Amino acid sequence: MQGLKAKDQKVFSYLYDRYSPALYGVAMKVLNEESNAGDVLQEVFLKIWRNIDRYDESKGRLFTWMLNITRNTAIDTLRSKAHKMDQKIQVIGDDVHLYTTNLTVHPSVDHLGLSKVLEKLTKEQRVIIDLAYYKGCTQEEISKVLEIPLGTVKTRMRNAIIQLRNLLKI
Amino acid sequence: MGASRYISSGLIEAYVSRLATPQETQELELAIDQYPEVATAVEDCRLGMEHYIMLQSVTPPTVVKQNLIRIIAEEEAGKLIGEETEETQIIEDTPVRKLYVNSSWRWAAVAAILLLLGSLLLNYIYFSRYSDYQARYEALLTGNNTLASERNVYRARMEQLEHSLDIVKDPSVQTVKMPGTKSFPSSLATVYWNKASKEVFLMANNLPQPAAGKQYELWAIVAGKPLDMGVFDISTDTAAILQKMKSVDNAEMFAITLENKGGSPAPTMDQMYVAGKTS
Repeated sequence: MQGLKAKDQKVFSYLYDRYSPALYGVAMKVLNEESNAGDVLQEVFLKIWRNIDRYDESKGRLFTWMLNITRNTAIDTLRSKAHKMDQKIQVIGDDVHLYTTNLTVHPSVDHLGLSKVLEKLTKEQRVIIDLAYYKGCTQEEISKVLEIPLGTVKTRMRNAIIQLRNLLKI
Repeated sequence: MGASRYISSGLIEAYVSRLATPQETQELELAIDQYPEVATAVEDCRLGMEHYIMLQSVTPPTVVKQNLIRIIAEEEAGKLIGEETEETQIIEDTPVRKLYVNSSWRWAAVAAILLLLGSLLLNYIYFSRYSDYQARYEALLTGNNTLASERNVYRARMEQLEHSLDIVKDPSVQTVKMPGTKSFPSSLATVYWNKASKEVFLMANNLPQPAAGKQYELWAIVAGKPLDMGVFDISTDTAAILQKMKSVDNAEMFAITLENKGGSPAPTMDQMYVAGKTS
């Protein structure tokens, strides 16, 4: 951390090597597009480099802070691309369709055991986590897209995350 | 709400997955500060979520790192030259806004210039069209005037022809054909003599254009003596239009001679072009 705050370029390079796959994974999941995801990743690391002074260790882990920057930047890009709500819903709708018909996983991440986790997570559970986290959908939007009552959205999310945590402990 | 109720409400999961509304988020963040067990529960839940995110890692293209290293190296080099590292960092917040204002003005200026250029272009196009239409309008106007004056010419000519026809149609008119003399055999003229009104009209069917200073003169031979009937000119229409000459009561013969302009008291006999008897 001290190396980072002192703007040590070697430390930054190490940080990039260690975290860029996870952050790039987020950008890819949000945007479904390689070219934009690359731009977002570059922007994210520039923000990290320029704003590292604002990171407060007492308020949370560095990875959490970087994830927040990545998610916000990627979702901003997504929204600037399709700022109309119906277009956004359309994109999400396509995603839901994709999930329900095809659960194949990117081969490069399969070694991490993702497919094992996903097999045990129902489609519903995965979709609700992904819509909220990667697409930035509100409870109302999720209720509309998944055609479930608004009050059910939070319950279903809770069950999904409990199931996820159980799987990850194994 | 107690700590355990936060833990079982589903709010923590919603918070970690970013499903929570801004109000819910604010509420939970207060609870995190208030209850250590809530803070722990949130952190556990967040670790699970982050694990899930990590599972979906994708190796980024190498070009991203190359770009980053280049950009950062350039930025650092720039700061070293300025030796104002701290100052630039302090001002960092304001330049963003300033830059935004600048760029919006820049866009406005670009838009204004484009509009101006577009307007100039349209002005040019419309002005050339206007000039074109004006030229065409003037051409049409000229053409129209020409047609109108031509029409007047034709109407006048037609009126003259009608008038000539009226004269000829009169049953008391006698036609006296005057063929060419031996000296001018191809010449021909005709006299229309109204015996009732004594009027004499002349048609120069074929007479050559006289030399300058000369004029044709019509003669009536009355009791063997020539009587001046008036002079006349040759124009494009004389072969078709009747010219009124002097009146005569009685004539045995009509003849035309070429005389000096204004006519002569007596005919020049060797310049007699045509002659014809009345009976």
